[in-house]
This record gives sequence, structure tokens and C-alpha cells, in this order.
Amino acid sequence: MTITVVGNRRRLEGDLIHKVLVVDDDDALREMVGLVLAGAGYEPVFAADGISAVEIFKDRNPDLVLLDIMLPGQSGIEVCKQIRAVSGVPIVMLTARGDTNDVVLGLEAGADDYVVKPHKGEELIARVKARLRPLPDDSLVLQVGGLTLDPKTFEVQREGANLSLTPLEFKLLHTLASKPQQVFSREMLLEQVWGYQYKADTRLVNVHVQRLRSKVEKDPENPKIVMTVRGHGYRAGSETL
Amino acid sequence: MISLFRRSLTARTVVATVLLSALALVTLGGFLSYSLANGFYQNRLDQVLSETERAVSSVQGTVSAASVNDETALQTLINAVVPSLEIVGGSGSRQVALLRSPGQAQLQLFESPISQDLDLKTIPDELRVQVRESAGILTYTPVSFFKDGVLVAGITVGAPVVIPLAGNFELFLVFDLSAEQQSLALVQNAITVAGIILLALIALVSYLVTRSVVRPVEQAALAAQTLSAGKLDERLVERGDDVLAQLARSFNKMAASLQQQIQQLDSLSKMQQRFVADVSHELRTPLTTIKLAGEVIFGNREKLDPALSRSAELMQNQIERFESLLADLLEISRYDARAVVADLETQDLNAVVGASIASIEPLAHAKNTEIRIDLPKGPVEAEFDAKRIERLLRNLLSNAVEHGEGRAIIVQVGQNASSVAVCVTDSGVGMSRLQLDRVFDRFWRADPARQRSVGGTGLGLAISKEDATLHRGWLQVWSKPNKGTSFRLTLPRRADSVIGNSPIPLPPRSVQT
Repeated sequence: MTITVVGNRRRLEGDLIHKVLVVDDDDALREMVGLVLAGAGYEPVFAADGISAVEIFKDRNPDLVLLDIMLPGQSGIEVCKQIRAVSGVPIVMLTARGDTNDVVLGLEAGADDYVVKPHKGEELIARVKARLRPLPDDSLVLQVGGLTLDPKTFEVQREGANLSLTPLEFKLLHTLASKPQQVFSREMLLEQVWGYQYKADTRLVNVHVQRLRSKVEKDPENPKIVMTVRGHGYRAGSETL
Repeated sequence: MISLFRRSLTARTVVATVLLSALALVTLGGFLSYSLANGFYQNRLDQVLSETERAVSSVQGTVSAASVNDETALQTLINAVVPSLEIVGGSGSRQVALLRSPGQAQLQLFESPISQDLDLKTIPDELRVQVRESAGILTYTPVSFFKDGVLVAGITVGAPVVIPLAGNFELFLVFDLSAEQQSLALVQNAITVAGIILLALIALVSYLVTRSVVRPVEQAALAAQTLSAGKLDERLVERGDDVLAQLARSFNKMAASLQQQIQQLDSLSKMQQRFVADVSHELRTPLTTIKLAGEVIFGNREKLDPALSRSAELMQNQIERFESLLADLLEISRYDARAVVADLETQDLNAVVGASIASIEPLAHAKNTEIRIDLPKGPVEAEFDAKRIERLLRNLLSNAVEHGEGRAIIVQVGQNASSVAVCVTDSGVGMSRLQLDRVFDRFWRADPARQRSVGGTGLGLAISKEDATLHRGWLQVWSKPNKGTSFRLTLPRRADSVIGNSPIPLPPRSVQT
């Protein structure tokens, strides 16, 4: 039986086809998500439980992980932590519960974004696309708080030493540093960094700012690079400390 | 002081005990003092009478036996005998007076011997009359006189004496009772002091006894308070077998059964929440697959023959309906499980009203319905969960569009010191009293025969009501058949404050006129 999937199959020659690891214990859903991804021009890779997910990740080295939270073996949160320990690959959680602690737990474990089931195909693809979108070609090398941000290599250096940020964290910091005078509201950051066109969960911003601070700030309790503007949002600190 | 009295059982008991004991002690002391005084007086009186008898008989004997015949010798004799009866000084002093009875014919130049410091007031005239008429029996009366500047009690005893040559005389002896008085005062003082000490002891004992009874009761009261405040682990110490220990045991038993029942309810509620979570997961996963598959088929419907293509459309619509029904069901069961927590933030209600109107605009346009907005100038700030309030308003608006018969819908926002409010009013079919009573019921529809274009799950208003209650707000409705319906949401400014009255009248003025 063949299923015809409508989608953008046009790929320029030599253009990289992104590999997406789909981790879900439900066979039907896993296959269906795979079809939707393939329809949009991605190459799906599958894992059915928490243990094999980590192995397949290391084996196949995907460009993005779609991760269900409730998994046999070990939970999605645990898988998320293990992948984060070795890689900054974008992780999008699939969760059946939109309003419980699971979302925050997942974000704190290192997930970049989440999609609540039941979701539309286009919603899922939009999330995946947003996470795989590179920075614009005209992005500049920026300085903030003694850090150097190189948008070509996604490298952040402090006094010659590399800090390992995930692409999302890099994008967040780069966005703030690109307009150091401007205060970014959470909604603006959701649009510019996460690619949301409509109102989304501001906890995404809060959790990731915390994670970013813990990596770049010398004293995360007293931030000098990602500053909070009470009641408004965040802004970047000065170029040097 | 009065409040202490009202509050403290111990204080009340001690004061009552002391007052009653004091009354008893005063009665007892009075009686004792009276009996003693009486006894002392009677004793002394007997002694006084016998002394007087001796004195009188000695005087009478001496003057009768003497063979004197001239006045000078008589005077000498009397002067020798009478003063010898006198006892001077000390507390047992005795004064003497020999007075001539009046009304005697014989002429007398005889000088009556009288004790030097005797106050003649201590010999009242009535006594003298009684003595003259007494026919030899001793007559007495209690008197008082000054001695060394102090008023003392005494007894005056009198008896008639016949003196040869001189005639009838009255012999008076005035006895000093100050010694008895002193003894009595001493005893009375002792009684008073003893009484006061006893009273103090009674107060102390009653305090200690009451304390020992009241203390456990107080502890029980305190424990009951703690328990009712939600600390279910609170227990009393059970000691002994008395009624207080019984109280403690019963209290603890009650607390234990209460705790058990609450824990049972708690675990039931947890099971319910767990169930909701599981159903949520179990249903959503296949629904997600169906939805994704449906989309793929729907997206390719032009490749299918007309019947299949229409089937794909119907399926797509019903999947969406199924999804919103499932979402509403899960939402309401979360409320039932009390698993809902509001995500409160201070924000502008106008903005949320604007957003909900914007999202309903396409539907209103399709139904050719105008939405008129009446917002106050400036922000309308309150603490609320924007997601829930926006959903609630969307629901009110879509109801208004559906039942508004294409006539304009008025959205009014208001505020006062304690609260903010939104009122959504349509001029459509309206509802009867009976229908109004059921409007917030689950799966209830105003008119089952009515064709539904908007759809809706039948849970919208039930959830809206829960959302309002979650904010400690009000969701109220006014309606009249063929006039229209008005839903008013009133929210407190701050989540912990209380609504005084709603800033918008219900029905709103636009309907009243």
C-alpha cells in the first residue's frame, strides 16, 4: 500500500536533508508523524522507548529530536537530559498534558520547545522548521559582556575559551546582543527566537534565560549579560564587563 | 479585666469560690465573736455580782455592828470602810460611791465617800431608782466611761445600805471591763487574721484544682482549633482513667477518624486526577494520529472521487469537534478533581476583551453580526489568568453571536475600586426563567431543536462558570424571551480581595431603557 503525501519535496541538489529522530511509544502515531515529516521533506528516524532513543541518537546523529514525555524504559525527561549531556541538538517535546509540571520539567531538562497533543501536522512542521532555521546570512559577530558570538560557527568565546551553548541559547543571546539598547519582551523573544506568530507560553523564555545565565554569567544570581527589566522583559548587558 | 473574667473559666471559678467562702467565714466569725463576747461578759458579771455582794454585806455588817453614836465617829468609820472597797489602777480597777438616797427627813451633814476619779454619769438616775426599789437585791447596768482618755466598758452595781443615825444610802461599785474588752479584741483579731489566711488558702486551692481540670479542657480546645485549621496530626496526651483522659481519648479517636476520612477523600481525588491524566494521554495519542492522518487525506481530497472527498471533509470537521469535546471534558474533570490552578498576573482587561473579540470576528462576520464595544478610557487592571478569561469571553461572545439573530452585540467593560467587569449583551431570542435556571448545566442546550451552526460542546458555560469561580469572581446572567440575553463577568481586582458590587448593572442600561 502506498500513501501519497503532499508536501514540499523539492530539494536543491546537495542541499542537506535534515534527519529527525521521532521518539514515541505509540506505533501508529510514530509512523504517522514520520509520514508528515517525510511529506515536509525531512528524513525521519524512529525510536520506540527511552533506552533505545539514546542509543539511536548516538548512532544516527539526527538534526532534531521529537520526544514524547511518557515513554517506557525511561521517561522523556531522562532521555532529554542524556542527549543534552552530549549534544546541543534541538529537542522538541511532544506532550499530552499542556498545563502540568511536565512542560517545565522538560524545558529544565534542556528541551527547546514543546508541542501539545493532539496537534496539527502544520503546527508540528512549523516547530521543527523554526528549530532548524539557521541565523540570517548577514548576522554579525557580536560582543557582549566580554563574550564573542560568532553566528557562522555558533561559537561563543570568553578570553579565547569556548562556552558550549545550544543553537537556541546562542540565538537567544545573539538576538539580545544584536540590539543592546532594546528591551525585549517575552512575546518578542518568542517571535524572534522561537518563531511563534501567535501567543505562546512565556515559560519557554523564562526557563531558557535561566539556562543561558547559568552558562554565561559569572554570578547567575547577579546577571551582567542577560539583564531582567522588571515588568518588561530582558536586555543585553554592555559589550564588556 | 471583664474580658479576662469572661474568657477565663479559672478566674470565674476562683472568684466565685472566694466570694462564697468569704460569706461563710464572715458569718462564722460573727457568730464566734458574739458568743465569746457574751461568755466573757456573763463570766465577769457573775464575778462582779459576787464581789459586790461581799462588799455590800461587809459595809452593812460593819456599820450595823459598830456602836457609834456621834456623827464624827460615824463619818470616820464610813471613811474607813467604804474606800477600802476601792481597787485603784490596772485593768481590774473598781470604783466606789456611797450616795444618800434623796427624800429623807433627817438632817444630815454627813459626807458621802466617792472614789476620786469616779464619773458620776456612770451611776444613772434610773439605776438609783431601781436600787432604792430593789428591796436589797443587787441591781446592775452596763455603762461606759473614760479611763485615761479611752472609752471603756464597765458595769455599775448598786445596793441599798442602811446606816444608823444617817439613814438610807445606796452603795455603788463601778467595775472596769477593759480587760475583757482587750481579750475579746485579741480573739476577734485572731479570728479575722485566721479568716483572711483561710480565704487565701481557699483561693489558692480552688485555683489549683480548677487549673488541673480546666487545663486539659483548654488543651483540648486548642487542639480542636489546630485540627480545624487543617493540622490533622494534632493529638492530646492520654493520661490516667478519669473523665479528662476519656475526653482526650475520645478527641484523639475523633481526630484519627477525621484524618482517615480526609486522607481517603484525598487519595480518591488523587486517583481521579491520575485517571484524568491517564485518559488524557491514552485518548490524545490515538486522536493525534487520527488527526494527522485526517489532515493528510483532507489535503489530498481533490484527488479523490466526490463521495470520498466529501467523506474526508466530514471526517475532518468531526475530528475537530471530537477534539474540542475531549478538551472540554478533560478541562471540566480537572475542575472536578480540583486540579486547576489559576496562572494569575496583573494585566489590562481591555486587552483581553480586545483579543477575544478579534478571535470571534470571523464568526460574527459570517453571521452578519456587529459587535459594539464600550470600553472605559485607560487600562482596566486586575489580577487574573488571561488564558482562562479570554477563553471565557470567547465562549460568551460565540454564544451571543449564535443566539443574537444577527442583531448587534454590545460588549461593555467597567471598573470600580474593588472589581472589574465585562458584560456581553445580545438582543436575540433570549431565555425563559426555566431555561435560565439550567443555563450553566453541563450538556444543556437552550433549544435542542435549534439548528446548531456554531457547534460548541455543551460544556462551555459550565467551564466558564468554573473559571469565574476559580478567580473568586461572578458569572451572572440576565435574559428575557425575545429581548435578549446578558452575561456579566465580575472579577475582583486582586485574587485575595472580595468583590463589593459589580461596576456594571445587570441587565445593563442599554437594555433597561
